[in-house]
Amino acid sequence: MLRYYTQSCWRDWQEGFRWSHWSRSQFPIEPLVTFRVVFGALMLVSIVRFLALGWVEDHFVNTQFQFKFYGFSWVPLIPAAYLYALHGLLVLASLGIMLGAWYRLSAVIFFLGFTYTQLIDLTYYLNHYYFVSLLSLVLIFLPAHWAYSWDYRQKPVYVVPFWPVGLLRWQVAILYVFAGLAKINTDWLIHHVPLKIWLPAGDSWPVVGFLFAHPWAPAVFSWGGMLYDSLIPFFLLNRTTRWPAYVAVWVFHGAVGLLFQIGVFPIVMIGLTPIFFSADWHQRIWRRWKTFSPSLPPNSAVKVPRWVWLYLGFQLIFPWRYLLYPGNLFWTEEGYRFSWRVMLMEKAGTATFYVRDSNTGYEGIVDNGEFLRPHQEKQMAMQPDMILQYAHFLAKHYQSLGMKNPQVRAEVYVTLNGRRSQLLVDPTVDLSKLTDSWQPKTWILPAPTP
Amino acid sequence: MKYPMKRIILMCVGLMTLWGCDSTQNDGPNQDFDRKALLENMADGLIIPAFTTLQQRTTAMEAAVRTFTENPNATNLIAAQQAWEAAYLTWQSCNAYNFGPGELPVFGTLTDNIGVFPVSTQKIENNITTQNLSFDNFDRDARGFLALDYLLFDLEGNDRVLPKFTNPTRRQYTRQVAQDIVTKVTAVRTGWDAYRTSFVANVGTDAGSSTAVLYNEFVKSFEAAKNFKVQLPAGQRAGQTAPEPTRVEAYYSGKSMVFLEAHLTAIQNIWEGKKANGQDGIGFEEYLEAVEGGKDLITQTRNQLTSVRQAKTRVPAGSLSQTIRTNLSIVQDLGVELQKQTRFYKSDMASLLGIAITFNSGDGD
Repeated sequence: MLRYYTQSCWRDWQEGFRWSHWSRSQFPIEPLVTFRVVFGALMLVSIVRFLALGWVEDHFVNTQFQFKFYGFSWVPLIPAAYLYALHGLLVLASLGIMLGAWYRLSAVIFFLGFTYTQLIDLTYYLNHYYFVSLLSLVLIFLPAHWAYSWDYRQKPVYVVPFWPVGLLRWQVAILYVFAGLAKINTDWLIHHVPLKIWLPAGDSWPVVGFLFAHPWAPAVFSWGGMLYDSLIPFFLLNRTTRWPAYVAVWVFHGAVGLLFQIGVFPIVMIGLTPIFFSADWHQRIWRRWKTFSPSLPPNSAVKVPRWVWLYLGFQLIFPWRYLLYPGNLFWTEEGYRFSWRVMLMEKAGTATFYVRDSNTGYEGIVDNGEFLRPHQEKQMAMQPDMILQYAHFLAKHYQSLGMKNPQVRAEVYVTLNGRRSQLLVDPTVDLSKLTDSWQPKTWILPAPTP
Repeated sequence: MKYPMKRIILMCVGLMTLWGCDSTQNDGPNQDFDRKALLENMADGLIIPAFTTLQQRTTAMEAAVRTFTENPNATNLIAAQQAWEAAYLTWQSCNAYNFGPGELPVFGTLTDNIGVFPVSTQKIENNITTQNLSFDNFDRDARGFLALDYLLFDLEGNDRVLPKFTNPTRRQYTRQVAQDIVTKVTAVRTGWDAYRTSFVANVGTDAGSSTAVLYNEFVKSFEAAKNFKVQLPAGQRAGQTAPEPTRVEAYYSGKSMVFLEAHLTAIQNIWEGKKANGQDGIGFEEYLEAVEGGKDLITQTRNQLTSVRQAKTRVPAGSLSQTIRTNLSIVQDLGVELQKQTRFYKSDMASLLGIAITFNSGDGD
């Protein structure tokens, strides 16, 4: 019995993670098809929702300043009419992906269009949006439309190499495991912050509200969240633990969805995690091959494209770049983004900028509300690279008003995980003279002591 | 494979128990804060009584203005001025509530419509000359309380006011401005009768919840006082090259400091939950007491409030524009102390309470 379990487990793990398995040339297409259809459908919902809530207007129209990603400051903001057209195009592209109609073109359009909407607004950086960009990029190169699709309605191909499925599994697993590892820190596991701050705010939910307000809730949710994220891909891959694990996926993302305003993403994760399920599960759904015999005709070895290794290598290494920076990652945020640090800290700041006319010595306080929307101000006031961008904007703005040589300094008080707020950056430094780079930002002051 | 799973679960349970005990041991705050009680106190103790008084006083003001414009003499002018001052003083306890009924149809919030300064004297005079008596427009700097400040007062004294009121259009315009204020205040006061129920029932903390909306308007009101009533006229705003004493609130009546005092007190009352009748009730202070780290923030906030008060008492009660001309640094000191106060009200408090900052915030992750 034990032997049987062990064997079946090994089979599952091989299917998912063993490299040698990756050269298999023959694998059912159904897991890919499920992924393609669910992804397309959820993106359709997501884009339509974004339009319906009027967020195109809120995020991009009539703003005086857009924060940009490092290295992408050149990306221009297109006029409102084009933005609406672009979102319309994204709706069509999602449909195309879902139905497998002009699939490759749809995926290319979706990747470029969606990524563009991210690049024009750093303040709305979300790990989940990054995830969507990555998936749509990868989908361009995967044969997810070879069957159950408009494109291949005449001559569907039901067998694909294994590596596309493996790649998607790794991508989803990377998101989870890094999110879990990031939670292994003193604040999260021992002090149970930020959940100690966030959970009581959810106490007004009917039925489950009392759970969130329970004194033990922060501890249970902190540890539960860390263990869930770190381990869930493995339990989903394993045939014996698959169903309890998938129930956990629903419970976890359901609770998170209630507590935080995170839009469609709980559903995205619930919809995409079945990629870990066995191929025959997917086949049963698509009702083609009633039974899947693991002894397919002998596999001819297929060469996994080199870009797959490069891509996965990048995904595995890039999140660790924070180790190259001195100081507290949560405080400096150097290497914080693109690393699956999801809902990890409670951080907020009040940033007061002072602009001094070098010629007259006259210094004045900036009213951030004059230039930024509340959401932009909130994000800027705790993230050093945005503080720098804004300081440059201010220098340029006051220069355009006739100030000869404006100096910009900022008094930024930041509270991290409920601690007393303290200065984030050196308030004496002229920020307009500094430039952003990969180098450590020496003008960031030391983090609060625990 | 079953064994590791069991072991992991056991480990989890064990660890959770351990940390769970730890968290209950420290004399942590009581996390069962009743936000409904906070909202009820805000509605019944602060907001509705303030608007009720405002409605009474603006109605009295309208009557006094009517008497004066029908019979423009020195006695009636003083009566109208006093009625205006009483009403505008009460307005300082209402100007933070620009949500719900406070959002008027078409032309913006109540503050946008009756509390804008500086007024455009050019627009007012032009309206009078061209006999344009309609307020269905976005020229909100030609109406409201501060238009009356300009119409009813003159820096040179009342002797300079009376002769202007020989013009019948000026009388009518002044009357209409007063009437418009009453109409709008009444609409908001009446609106609260129906809105109260939904306001008190929306007990969440997400964007759009009553607590979040109230909190955001509270911060906005504080920042308006700081930015426009102190720092801007004192020349502390970026891009200014000199103080602009004429941009104080209520420039023509010269009573800026009285109104500023009332405004800052009103903001502090929201924070403390202090009712219109002077009794202390449940406010953000009590809410902070109930959350992790809140007591420390209360201490910090109170200390800074003391510094603000000290800076404020150094500024003489007379004309603020005069003080800016003669003793700028004490006004600027007040601006600096108010700036220091900002973070305690703004990011520190929102962070500890888990309140959504933006009304329509989009998604987080």
